[in-house]
Amino acid sequence: MTLAIDRLAQASPWRTRALGEKAALALGLLVLALVLPPWPGAALVLAVAWGTALIGARIGLADWLRLNAAPLGFVLTGAATLAVELGPDGLGLAADHGIRALAVVLRASAATSCLLLLAVTTPTPDLIQGLRRLGLPAEIAEVALLTWRFLFLLLDAAAAIRGAQESRLGWSNWRRGLHSLGLLIALLLPRAMDSARRLEIGLAARSFDGTLRMLSPARPVSAVWLGLVATAEAALAGVSLWLS
Amino acid sequence: MHIMEGFLPAGHALAWTLVSAPFVVVGARRLRRVVAERPEARLQLAAAGGFTFVLSALKLPSVTGSCSHPTGTSLGAMMFGPPVMAVMGTMVLLFQALLLAHGGLTTLGANVFSMAVAGPWVAWAVWRAADRLGLPMAVGIFLSALLGDLATYGVTSAQLALAFPDAVSGFGGAFVKFAGIFAVTQAPLAVAEGLVTVVVMNALAARGQHPMVGVKA
Repeated sequence: MTLAIDRLAQASPWRTRALGEKAALALGLLVLALVLPPWPGAALVLAVAWGTALIGARIGLADWLRLNAAPLGFVLTGAATLAVELGPDGLGLAADHGIRALAVVLRASAATSCLLLLAVTTPTPDLIQGLRRLGLPAEIAEVALLTWRFLFLLLDAAAAIRGAQESRLGWSNWRRGLHSLGLLIALLLPRAMDSARRLEIGLAARSFDGTLRMLSPARPVSAVWLGLVATAEAALAGVSLWLS
Repeated sequence: MHIMEGFLPAGHALAWTLVSAPFVVVGARRLRRVVAERPEARLQLAAAGGFTFVLSALKLPSVTGSCSHPTGTSLGAMMFGPPVMAVMGTMVLLFQALLLAHGGLTTLGANVFSMAVAGPWVAWAVWRAADRLGLPMAVGIFLSALLGDLATYGVTSAQLALAFPDAVSGFGGAFVKFAGIFAVTQAPLAVAEGLVTVVVMNALAARGQHPMVGVKA
């Protein structure tokens, strides 16, 4: 079983680009989305993030739209709450006619696009190694890497159990569904622990000393790229402050 | 109840990050100590972290038909104790943001506080209290999961109400608004998670496996 974001990140044309370059671009835009006024700041960030993802990092349009749609659903539910007001005579449209709700939707969708831009161009282990270089303790980084490995194994196991339950009508109504889910979780937890124990015995037999060394090719950060990104982001901030 | 990327204003996002940081740092210290004493624990922790992530990818049969999933907050608190849950929860929330675009980097602090700090502490406290009162185990587990979930959702509503107070009725009105809207999905979800957690514990007990490996807070 694969997760869409991980599959895209592993196959991304920007996979081999230095992490520093991608982080400067995506996280820089993310900060701008948050601190600039939503109109026109977040709208400009949204446009730049979409353009970079679709044209620069060559993510397929259908994939990109699908990835953006799910978080947008949650954002819209939350924003709907901002568009209404609790007055003395019950619920009504907010006095600002939903301007604040619109601003939040704009900011959140711009920020989500920036997060996705980083996530679909950089596999998670690369990010963990980046955090390690920034001072994340080695033990935490290792547990994080192992967790990342385990979650795919367990997703596979969960999908197989769920398939077997469904083919025996285990999810035919709410009550059975609840019971089946409980059994699934109860089966998954010992399986996870079992495979952890087997992995540990295997590693101990190979003189595991607690460090997992991985080959990571040196990818120097291009100063020209960083300069371009900084200039573009400064220009974006300038334009949006001038327009607002 | 995840707060999506960019939903909170910059000041609030930063403030919640600062509030959550001490809990995560203390949890990380404890985790490092556990790993130093028992190197094999890192694989158990990783398996449990992966398990918590997978829980969030499982759909819970929902009354309202909306997408809802178990949070694993109380199960995690019972397994690791709340301090280690803070750091494992942070890791899982980070993976959810990066692999599912669920939650976010700027809202990580706020989400950590509601789901990896407040929820687990409440679930753990309820579980211990039920044990002290001599309630049947199933009732204790059910209440722990139920109240842990409700605490998480109450904190999230408060975080949103603080960030977006109602123009007329202020924080109180906004809290009622957010809590009211989320209650439609979250209240049945909390009950369902309570029931599922009882089934999980019963099934584990029937197999002679006891999942509680580190209940010391």
